[in-house]
Amino acid sequence: MYKLLLVFVFLLSGCAQHSNNRLADDLQFQTPESILSALQETKPDDRDIAQYYLNIGYLQLLSGHFPESIDALLIAKKEMGSLAATSVSENIGAGTVNETLRSYSGYPLDRVMVHNMLALSYLFNQDIGGARVEMLQADVAMKKLFDKDSLSGQLASTHLISGIIYELLDERSNAFISYQLAEEVLNKRHIALPEGLKLGLLRMSLKMGNDQAYDKYSQAYPSLAEHQTAKGQVFVLYFNGVVSNKVQASLTVPSFNGQQLIRIAMPTYPERVPRPVSAQVGDGQQIKNTQVTENINDIAREDLDKEYPSILLLTTTRAIAKYKVVEEAKKKDQLIGTLLNFATLISEVADLRSWNMLPATIQFAYLDTNSDNIVVSPPKTADNSVSLQQGHQHVILATNLSNKILHYQQ
Amino acid sequence: MKIHTSLLLAVMSSVMLTACSTSVERLDASEQVDLSGAWNDTDSQLVAEEMIQDSLSRPWITKFVTSEGKDPAVIVGRIKNLSHEHINTNTFVANMERELINSGEVQFVASASSRQEIRDERADQDLNASEVTRKEAGQEYGADFMMQGQINTIVDVDGTTQVRFYQVNLELISLKDNRKVWIGEKKIKKLISNSKIRP
Repeated sequence: MYKLLLVFVFLLSGCAQHSNNRLADDLQFQTPESILSALQETKPDDRDIAQYYLNIGYLQLLSGHFPESIDALLIAKKEMGSLAATSVSENIGAGTVNETLRSYSGYPLDRVMVHNMLALSYLFNQDIGGARVEMLQADVAMKKLFDKDSLSGQLASTHLISGIIYELLDERSNAFISYQLAEEVLNKRHIALPEGLKLGLLRMSLKMGNDQAYDKYSQAYPSLAEHQTAKGQVFVLYFNGVVSNKVQASLTVPSFNGQQLIRIAMPTYPERVPRPVSAQVGDGQQIKNTQVTENINDIAREDLDKEYPSILLLTTTRAIAKYKVVEEAKKKDQLIGTLLNFATLISEVADLRSWNMLPATIQFAYLDTNSDNIVVSPPKTADNSVSLQQGHQHVILATNLSNKILHYQQ
Repeated sequence: MKIHTSLLLAVMSSVMLTACSTSVERLDASEQVDLSGAWNDTDSQLVAEEMIQDSLSRPWITKFVTSEGKDPAVIVGRIKNLSHEHINTNTFVANMERELINSGEVQFVASASSRQEIRDERADQDLNASEVTRKEAGQEYGADFMMQGQINTIVDVDGTTQVRFYQVNLELISLKDNRKVWIGEKKIKKLISNSKIRP
């Protein structure tokens, strides 16, 4: 009886994964608000709490519900923190049934990106001090994940957002260091530096009076060094698309004696990824294209790639364990053995959980402007006009998933 | 066999229910409890107490009393949180205000936000209170000094072990001429080790 119950539980866990992935797919075609309502109607499994609140918090940010977004993302952050230690019981479950019996503790991407989303929620909620705290925590999180042989958990977008927040607070040396760290990560990832970041490096080195650094960047970017600065500053972040969902690659084969069916299921990402598309930002005098600062599709794949050997090892070990259990059961009772074999087949599902509603890319553009109005034009959505208080600093977040523009000014 | 299974189920259910139930224990507010290692009420109380005691034991206070012939009036200004944690500086400010008032050595002036509420009430009294009980405008006690400060942290991490270093800096500034009459500093260092294994 309890075995049947277990099978039922396994089926349900598979359903929850598929329902979540379907909603993430729908985010391409429906507004964040409607996906948020649909997601809030579902009840997450205890093991999926972190993933659930990561997605809820992100959708609430895009919907402009900042206090709620902060609450949800803080729950997710706390949950991931408490799950950082290895669980003995969950490892046993994952080793004997499937990987979804392990609580979702977040990939390195999630553990750093949660601070980005929290910082933006605090910022748009008019709490720049809270945003600064998150950026400091992100720095600690990245140091924890640092590995000299890989870029796992090292996000250029986090350094960029840190730089923007420090610049808004007029902490020049901190801003300069953050922009430099963003430059370093982008260079290691072989991603062209966005013009806005180059301007940030020039601006901060000049403001700090760091002549050596300013000369270096002036020589590297001579056309930008002649850039005339206007009174108003506009930092534009653009979230393009939705990151890929994982898919299951499974294989079922008969055993060598034909007595049993053996199945393995592994998570993977689809090979084809849509090309990043830029948004345009203009003030009537100039038009800038947003440029990729973080390719989340690539980083999600890197995170899975890093975990792949251990997933493969556990999957094959589990297949052997299941084979032995069925073999023993068949020796005692053929019918029970066959039913158990069936149960081991349907319980073998890949863990497809991830923070799957994140944007596919995070893009950035910077404008100096004296205008009292700019127009943000994400592809395939209507132009959005944003009123600016002249001479102020502005942070704007746009996405191609909705017409909502988030705006902070000081 | 069925009886054994039912018994086992009953025992397991009761164990699970016990594990899931919420338990609450009342603690003395002064009791030191550290759960996550983050800044907590104990740190806030400790720092406020020690720093205010330090400030009141310094010569600025006697110099002021001698020259002005009255106790100094102090107001607590903004305490900036520049740390790695979301610290509610209001509780820290409240702790400092309590220590300052209870010392009996300084007059204490309400903060800007509290003053506005009192002014609104005074304006209301002007219209609605009887002449005998009405409080006039323009009788406020102006502060002589403002206390400002910041909370900073340095975090060093290695795997599951963290060293958190908190530094609280406070300064007392004369409102008359912007002179800094006292600068205080309190440091707290914590070593936090997180478990690598959970059940």
